Amino acid sequence: MRMKKNAVKNFHKLLFLYFILWILLFEFILPVNNILPKPSVVLLSFSALWNDYKLPLNFISTVFAIYFSMALAYFTVWLLRVYLIKSNHVISDFIFSLHWFGEFVPWIIIGIFLIYWLPSSEYVKYIFIFSTSFFSIITHLKKEMKNIKNEYIDSAVSLGANEKNIAKKIIWKGSQPKIFDHLRILNFQLWSLIIVFEYISNRNGLGIIYKHALEYKDLSALFTLLIITGISVYIGSKLILYLKNKFYHWSFV
Amino acid sequence: MSSEFLLEVNNISKWNYGLAGAKQLILDDICFKIKNNSNSGNIVSILAQNSLSKTTLLKIISSIEKPSQGNIILFGKEYNKPTGDIAYIPEEPSSFPWMSVKQNIQYAYELKNDITNNQKIINELISSVGLDGYENHFPHDKSLGFRFRISFARALAVSPKIILFENPFGNLHGETKSEIISLVNNLTDKLNLTILYTTSNINEAISVSNKIVLMSSHPGKIINEFEIDKKQNLDLNSDYYNSIKLLIEKSYK
Repeated sequence: MRMKKNAVKNFHKLLFLYFILWILLFEFILPVNNILPKPSVVLLSFSALWNDYKLPLNFISTVFAIYFSMALAYFTVWLLRVYLIKSNHVISDFIFSLHWFGEFVPWIIIGIFLIYWLPSSEYVKYIFIFSTSFFSIITHLKKEMKNIKNEYIDSAVSLGANEKNIAKKIIWKGSQPKIFDHLRILNFQLWSLIIVFEYISNRNGLGIIYKHALEYKDLSALFTLLIITGISVYIGSKLILYLKNKFYHWSFV
Repeated sequence: MSSEFLLEVNNISKWNYGLAGAKQLILDDICFKIKNNSNSGNIVSILAQNSLSKTTLLKIISSIEKPSQGNIILFGKEYNKPTGDIAYIPEEPSSFPWMSVKQNIQYAYELKNDITNNQKIINELISSVGLDGYENHFPHDKSLGFRFRISFARALAVSPKIILFENPFGNLHGETKSEIISLVNNLTDKLNLTILYTTSNINEAISVSNKIVLMSSHPGKIINEFEIDKKQNLDLNSDYYNSIKLLIEKSYK
């Protein structure tokens, strides 16, 4: 635990060091270049991002699509948990047969198909993130189900627990800490996917700002977007960790 | 309900199949009976060196696993589906880490469809296993002894006819071991429980049990049975103790 805290402290120190180095090098020492922008220009670009690139609207659109769709996917898995966990059930067999595609076909290609099928739908972004999250969570649930200790299941069975009860109270509960660990990885993957998706589909969101900033060769806007995206992914990841610590504190020994 | 025997293990055999389809005999025609002592507690031990055959036998008796041959009779009726009448507690204490002490016990009541949620009864059970004041504690970071107490209380909550323990004292040491043995002895007498447990420790079997069923290894086969007269002096140096020990050692040879 102490080692982990030290690692976090070192990470923050390094981040601060890079920040100071960037200011010193790119503001005072190096000439204007195409690698990184001047810190003072980045500050100025924020107002341009806010007004010209419509940052608030696009940012909210991306954040809402990610977290609403991810929460909805988790809730759907929760609703279907008994059928997904039960062996040889027609619903779980059908869903798991679909998840095979997700293992071998990159998700962004499915996103391209969604853009083709639903070119003018406002909800296509939500459908894309929801389906990606849903299949990712059930794939992980399927893996984690096998790691639940047999002792828990055997003792519950001997007390008279049926398959439904085992699925709800033992397997689902016991797999939650690992599912939440996976949600943190999924958080990062979804941010990458949605930005690419918005970029190629020309829809509201941070992806469209990246596209416009690239078209205008606006390095300072791109750099500011990088910082905003990084901080957002970090906050999202910390929020999921907070929820895990709150609800699944027993997984930490 | 007027059967002379509480439990009858009739001609139980079990084969496992290896990867190449090779048949491996785990249990060979196991037969023994436990008398119905409604007026006093009864502790029967299965003494054997091979843990696979002991575990398999307990799982078959509790109907978690099906035998290849033979049947289990409980109070004169075939027991072939786990209903809670035979509670099984695995070697690794199986208290659910995601439930508090109270929730673990409440879970067993729910399985009995006893949703009266009688806090007084639950608190009495918690108190009977010596966990007063720990009702809302979680077992994940507690000792083996603590987790054993929860599993024991949870098993008692379904009012089983018989409780099966898999090597319950094997991983305990020193004072904790003595405390748990005395807890099992006291509750067995107080609640007229019947306990069937497995062990590989001869001394422990003689000092704890009323009856010892001696089983060979590879495959598990009943060699002999010994009734222990609890009124005799069971000190380690007593004549009675040593005579039983000698008989067991001779039976093994």
